[in-house]
Amino acid sequence: MELYKFLPKTNCKRCGKPSCMAFALDLLKGKVKVDDCPPLVEEKKYSSNRETLKEMLGAEEGIEKELHIEVDEELCDGCGICVTICPVNARYCYSTLSGKAPDFPPDKHQLFQVKAGKCELLNLEHCRRLEAEGRERECRVCETYCPREAIKIVYI
Amino acid sequence: MERYVCTGCSLLCDDIIVSSDGIYIDQVIGACLKGKERFDLVNSENRILNPLVRQNNILEKASWDLALDKTTELLKNAKNPLLYGFSTTSCEAQLRGLELASDINGFIDSNSSICQGKVLNETINAGITFSTITEIINKADLIILWGCNAAESIPRLLNKTLYSRGKFRITGREIKTLIIIDPVKNASFNTMGVRDIPLIIKPGKDLELIKALKENCCATEGTPPEGVAGLDKEDMRRLLQQLGGAEYGVIFVGQGLLTPLENSNLITELLELVNIINSKQQKGRISVMMMGGHYNMVGFDHVALSMYGKNGAIQFKDNHFTNTDDTLITKIQNEDFDCSLFIGTDPISHLPFSLSSKLVKKPIILIDNHKNASYEFANIVLPTAITGIECDGLAYRLDHIPIEVKKIINPPNKIPTDADLLTQIIQKIKSNR
Repeated sequence: MELYKFLPKTNCKRCGKPSCMAFALDLLKGKVKVDDCPPLVEEKKYSSNRETLKEMLGAEEGIEKELHIEVDEELCDGCGICVTICPVNARYCYSTLSGKAPDFPPDKHQLFQVKAGKCELLNLEHCRRLEAEGRERECRVCETYCPREAIKIVYI
Repeated sequence: MERYVCTGCSLLCDDIIVSSDGIYIDQVIGACLKGKERFDLVNSENRILNPLVRQNNILEKASWDLALDKTTELLKNAKNPLLYGFSTTSCEAQLRGLELASDINGFIDSNSSICQGKVLNETINAGITFSTITEIINKADLIILWGCNAAESIPRLLNKTLYSRGKFRITGREIKTLIIIDPVKNASFNTMGVRDIPLIIKPGKDLELIKALKENCCATEGTPPEGVAGLDKEDMRRLLQQLGGAEYGVIFVGQGLLTPLENSNLITELLELVNIINSKQQKGRISVMMMGGHYNMVGFDHVALSMYGKNGAIQFKDNHFTNTDDTLITKIQNEDFDCSLFIGTDPISHLPFSLSSKLVKKPIILIDNHKNASYEFANIVLPTAITGIECDGLAYRLDHIPIEVKKIINPPNKIPTDADLLTQIIQKIKSNR
């Protein structure tokens, strides 16, 4: 989101992406570079923004990164809020809708499960950040609502 | 996979998946850290597996016959025994405990008398109904945590109430507002969203806040006073708006509100506020909920209420119930007992030093499944099976719903259950007479 603030926000689509938000996301993942945005390079009024963006990204610009969800086992107390709040879990494991623990063995789409008092990440492939489109790709509910701040979404 | 009930805390989650071969517990899925520790207790180092009797100031292993003989002797000769605990036993054991107390003319009390028992009494007097977890899931749109840290004390409570998507609250977290009133910024504050109201008040100013709310909740227009309990004017306005506009609000009463005050009672004031709001409000209502810790604390209240019409501090005289103003605290303060029996609790570490030092002077019988501070001072220790894992029984959830807990594995060393052990003691006392 920090990156999006410094883009033109005009959605001119000249970079080939549907919106400036999509461009910001790809910028974060290292799929595109700052100079891939034509208005930033051509127009003078954006020159300061361009430099800020380059500064923010630093040496990591243009290097492709992968999504990781890190669960800190020391901090986690197995409250299961991530299991209930995750939209993908809600879509495929109906029992999580009313706060119940999902079935075992887990569904192939299920992202989180609580085992032996600790949260466990099952598979990342079906995370909304990878599968969905548009604004849904910015999903950060598990990180936001974890009361112990044990979940971190990072790009490495 | 079969689902079992977890007896780790008062929420009694009934959706825990346990895989077991009937002898050992293999996997526990769905339980929080507290519940997992409960299941780990089975093979814990602290587990008591044999009866112990203190001889020459050392606790030594003893046979069941010797330990039971000593227990009956001690209880029979006692003129004024004190029975305390029962919050982590099944309702069957609580019933046997009341029977034992009436047999030996004792004073019986549970942990709820120094915990949430007060709230139950006050609520019955004020005529306010409790809500249930299911109701909160399906209807609630306002959840207030007052003086409690739910995220750490009952880890799955917020998961079940705040984040779940119910019949009339299909969008889940987005439609439910959370208000936390606490002097400390605890872990529960981390679950706050944009619409929620975090209220960090000055310590000991709950009464001031309740009184200000009582005065202002009727006024639809106008501005609330500045600086009540160290709160912002804008926060105060939002709090009043939420209290007045909620369709179904729940106030979780935590331990923080149970601090005794000299002239007034916080719980009474809070319930008066709830009554005022409920009578003014047209479309919705607000209810309260007790936040107890022990898994069957509410159970003793119900068993005692149905038997003797009083939910704690029950004194027996000539095998009959007598009315008394004594409480557990005054009993211990005046040293008005000559022997004590603790079941599933640890008063030596729970009570302050001034009281626990008086408890230690008299002989102690401890009935429990694991070692604790009271174990070090006990004269007789009798082990029992863990309810919910090694034996079944009835327990009351924190919202006063009875739930049948199931047996998963057999207890080690053929340890009896709480109810069986108490029955044995009662029979021994009767036959010795």
